[in-house]
Amino acid sequence: MNKQQGRPPNPIGHPGGRFTGPIVKPKNQKETLLRIWSYLRIQKVELISVVIFVIISTILSLVGPFLIGKTIDDYIVKLDISGTIRMALILAGVYIASSVLTWIQTFVMIRVSQKTIRRLRQQLFEQYQSLPLAFYDKKQQGDLMSRMTNDIENLNAALSQSVIQIVSSFLTIVGTAFALFYLDWRLALVTLIIIPLIVYATKQIIKRSSVNYKARQRDLGNLNGYIEETISNADIITLFGKEKSTLVEFKEANEKLRGSAMRADIISGFMGPVNNFMNNLGLSLVIGTGAVMAVTSGLTIGVIASFVTYTRQFFRPINQLSNLLNTFQSAIAGSERVFEVLDEVREIEDIEHAIEKSRFKGDVTFENVEFAYESGKPVLRGINFKAKAGETIAIVGPTGSGKTTIIQLLTRFYDATGGRILLDDEPLVHYKMNNVRDHVGVVLQDTYLFSGTVRENIRFGKLSATDEEVEQAAKIAYAHNFIKYLPEQYDTVLSSGGLNLSQGQRQLIAIARAILEDPDILILDEATSSVDTMTEVHIQKGLNNLMNGRTSFVIAHRLKTIENADQILVIKDGQILEQGNHDSLINAQGFYATLQNQLMAN
Amino acid sequence: MQAVWKLSKYIKPYILFAIIAPIMMVIEVSMDLLQPTILQHIIDDGIAQNDTTYIVEMFGLMIATSLIGLIGGIGCSIYASRTAVNFSTDLRQDLYETITYFSNSSKDKFTLGKLVTNLTSDIEMLQRALTMLLKIFVRGPMMFVGAIVIVFFTARELFPILLVVVPILAFCMYYFTALSGKLFHKVQKVVDVVNTKVQENLAGIRVIKAYNRKNHQIDQFADINTQLMQRSMSADQIIGVLAPLTMFVVNMGIVAALWMGAIKVDNNTLQVGVILAFINYLMMVMQGLMSSSMVLVQLARAVPSAGRIVEVLEEKTELTNSSVSESKKIQGSVSFENVSFSYLKGTESVLKNISFHVNAGETVGILGMTGSGKSTLVKMIPRLFDVDSGVIKIDGLPIGHYGLEHLRQSIGFAPQKATLFSKTIADNLRYGKSDATEQQILQALQTANAQEFVDRLEAGTEHVLTQGATNLSGGQKQRLAMARAFIRKPNILVLDDVTSAVDNISEKAIQRAIDEQFDGATKFIVSSKISSVRHANQIFLMDDGKIIAKGTHEQLLKTSELYNEMARTQAEKGVTLSE
Repeated sequence: MNKQQGRPPNPIGHPGGRFTGPIVKPKNQKETLLRIWSYLRIQKVELISVVIFVIISTILSLVGPFLIGKTIDDYIVKLDISGTIRMALILAGVYIASSVLTWIQTFVMIRVSQKTIRRLRQQLFEQYQSLPLAFYDKKQQGDLMSRMTNDIENLNAALSQSVIQIVSSFLTIVGTAFALFYLDWRLALVTLIIIPLIVYATKQIIKRSSVNYKARQRDLGNLNGYIEETISNADIITLFGKEKSTLVEFKEANEKLRGSAMRADIISGFMGPVNNFMNNLGLSLVIGTGAVMAVTSGLTIGVIASFVTYTRQFFRPINQLSNLLNTFQSAIAGSERVFEVLDEVREIEDIEHAIEKSRFKGDVTFENVEFAYESGKPVLRGINFKAKAGETIAIVGPTGSGKTTIIQLLTRFYDATGGRILLDDEPLVHYKMNNVRDHVGVVLQDTYLFSGTVRENIRFGKLSATDEEVEQAAKIAYAHNFIKYLPEQYDTVLSSGGLNLSQGQRQLIAIARAILEDPDILILDEATSSVDTMTEVHIQKGLNNLMNGRTSFVIAHRLKTIENADQILVIKDGQILEQGNHDSLINAQGFYATLQNQLMAN
Repeated sequence: MQAVWKLSKYIKPYILFAIIAPIMMVIEVSMDLLQPTILQHIIDDGIAQNDTTYIVEMFGLMIATSLIGLIGGIGCSIYASRTAVNFSTDLRQDLYETITYFSNSSKDKFTLGKLVTNLTSDIEMLQRALTMLLKIFVRGPMMFVGAIVIVFFTARELFPILLVVVPILAFCMYYFTALSGKLFHKVQKVVDVVNTKVQENLAGIRVIKAYNRKNHQIDQFADINTQLMQRSMSADQIIGVLAPLTMFVVNMGIVAALWMGAIKVDNNTLQVGVILAFINYLMMVMQGLMSSSMVLVQLARAVPSAGRIVEVLEEKTELTNSSVSESKKIQGSVSFENVSFSYLKGTESVLKNISFHVNAGETVGILGMTGSGKSTLVKMIPRLFDVDSGVIKIDGLPIGHYGLEHLRQSIGFAPQKATLFSKTIADNLRYGKSDATEQQILQALQTANAQEFVDRLEAGTEHVLTQGATNLSGGQKQRLAMARAFIRKPNILVLDDVTSAVDNISEKAIQRAIDEQFDGATKFIVSSKISSVRHANQIFLMDDGKIIAKGTHEQLLKTSELYNEMARTQAEKGVTLSE
């Protein structure tokens, strides 16, 4: 899973070029569009009104230049003051109406878009909460994050702006063309000459820019990766006196970026001046030809005036359209990535008439349990054991032997692919999943804490717990001792991941959390790395309090824990190699005994 | 602003480019500004006089100005990019060099995360701002001012319209930009909350599932999600008003131009072409104003970046190399004489009056709780920090007298946090000794008890580690970090709590190998476990920055109460069987 999945990390940005980078193309454009539509459909009335408004306001904006020309020809040149004033008032009315309509359509579209986005975001979040753990084994967290943030944000931008702009640009182009031909077909033809030129130039620049942009992003990514790694490992560089060679390597990457950044920047910077030139060229052609025609074949000044304004309106959307379509395409590609997650199969559902119990005795039986993440690659094979209520079961074995998987089957993070697991003599799958999880407590080796106060983190074990209950649990877990020295005691705010606490302290909070939950079955992953001796003693005491009277499964690393267990399961390569208590296993002279001897021999 | 001035020296080598770029832009804008006037002349002089040759001449002039404008624009783009990219590349190089030679206290002061930001996004920000400054900051204001000036001289009759339209436009833009800035700031805050929430829910998904808190989390998210929607909506709506509003103001200007123009034409004080030219200039005024305000926002954002970068560049490196740098071979006897040290001057000392002497070839165990100062003590030896008072001597000579490079070359240090680079395992080991042979690499791996797991990897020593070596276990990372120190065959070996995640069987094997391989080296072994230091020639028991007891294991069992207590609790805890 160490390969980067999905998109490379977001670029930190690119300088003020008018080009936004290579386009991410959607795989199945039509289907995705239909699906986006299914979200929008709920707000059909709003959408239809937006479309009508866009059409009207575009027509109005086309009427403007036409009226200007008419005013000049029919009234100003003919020195008809009252007529001019009348026309000016009509023009003002047209402009007011067009502005108001433009505003309304944006207003409505922003609402539609934001509501849609919120729904999608909520759905995605719920999906994240409902997906099986196997999904998280496959995907990288950063990738899932970017679906929630970048991809959804892209869709938002496309919905709230691009949709209107694309429609109106398209209408403007078509409408203007009509108007031009209506006014004077010869001059219209001259104007249109410039369009293939614009399209060609834009394409050329984008093509070159795209290649250079990719090179630049690659070099920038490399350099930033180098910076991040060397800066965060600065200690090692100092210790091993590697400053000089680091600088040389940095310089190499930096110089590479100098070259590619320069090329990418310069070429994408051509877009502005080239477009500007095309616009000016178009304008010159219209005026030049128009003026000659005015002299030779009586074209009016008003028509020239209309043409001048129209050409300005005409070229802008053509320049924009390709950019807009790109934004839209990457939005569709983004939505596709969101839908992909929404289509993942959710976690195992409860069977019909699933049982619910308010309390479990805690008898657990594994009968010939098999499990494979991928078919054909079994992780567990023929696991058989019986744990009586209140017993402590130590699970021992090398890394990757399948210890954790056994535990994950108990919490129903996964379901066994063969054999069956009984809880209080009833198959585990017959219970409601929530019911099982409510009564199985888990303390993992690497404890995850949420940002929030210490109190909130403990209360996670039982949301309805009072402050007294929380503190009581902390005392039983031996966590109170350190919490009382925190700046705000139980109200101390922890940063994300609880990083401002030591590993031992985090574990104490997790134990308190489990005590508050008051589970009937307990699952523990014993920590290996050594923490402070005092904290260690506290953790041991807290754990003993927690395990007392509950069926406990411990992934054990410490000899002491193992020796004291009622049963020891020695797991190797997905099978139970040996089974029994400490004395019987030592007498058996097997794998466990060998491990013991190795330890003693030193 | 002072910071910006200080950074301007990085533009100096490219000053020619930095001057040419705006000049080219001035050319482009001038040509743009000429166009409507030529248009006016074509209409008022050419058409009105039926003068075809004049029209053709003017048409030629228009094409020519367009071409000159194109050259100007392209030239500006080339030279602006050249200036900005060169500027940022040079600055990045200098900044990186400064940071590389930072003392540890400087690194702590700025924090590593912020330094990374300085090198990446802050510099990007400056580069972008500089490009903008050279391009659009010339274009926008010049277009704006130029259009106004031309109207004043060629269409003074219509100038009053500008007097009304321009202030309204300026006000609208200022007001809406400021308002939306505030609103987007609020949006950003919720976005941060949403991101943290999602990130936490992904990272903590196992806990959430184990505690069956799905619905609780979904409800929490729904609240902030709705909040995000509301805030984004109001911010977007404000921006949504701006475009139609400015269009409206400009269009009203056009209407007014027709109205007033008609009256003036009637009075014979104005020609029709002027009206047309005016409409074009009005558009330019609006464009100029809009792009100027956009650039101003960008520039305002870049100023703090410049400030942060200058602050880093001006930080002084504390460690100084002695003028007499001794380079004789270090044998390895180490002594501390009354050494005190605090991370921040004036705060409580982390090391208080530490004195001891270690002979070359001896093994020293340093034992103590977290925060007792044991790690700091060993970090003083390669001069990761310099003492506040007292002297540290190696082979009888104060460590300041050795060349820094020579000193660090002679020490093999495996730090507490086993940081590795995203290179192959062999390359990571060569970090300790750049000319290490295959044989030496295997030997070092063997000593660190790492050969077994490396052999199991498909590519063996050529296996490429991920960043942060996330696919290795804690114990495996520690073994590699140790091997990296071993491969130097140093005369002073420092192991700073490097076996905390290694199981006891392997730890014993490593201890035996060290004894064999590094018989002549002075060894400092920091640990919180007695078992790791039990056989040392001397054990220092540290508490609160002081050595509170010194001696061999047997001596300390007799003399130190705390040592006895540690021995008891650790025996109770028992040894670890697996990692």
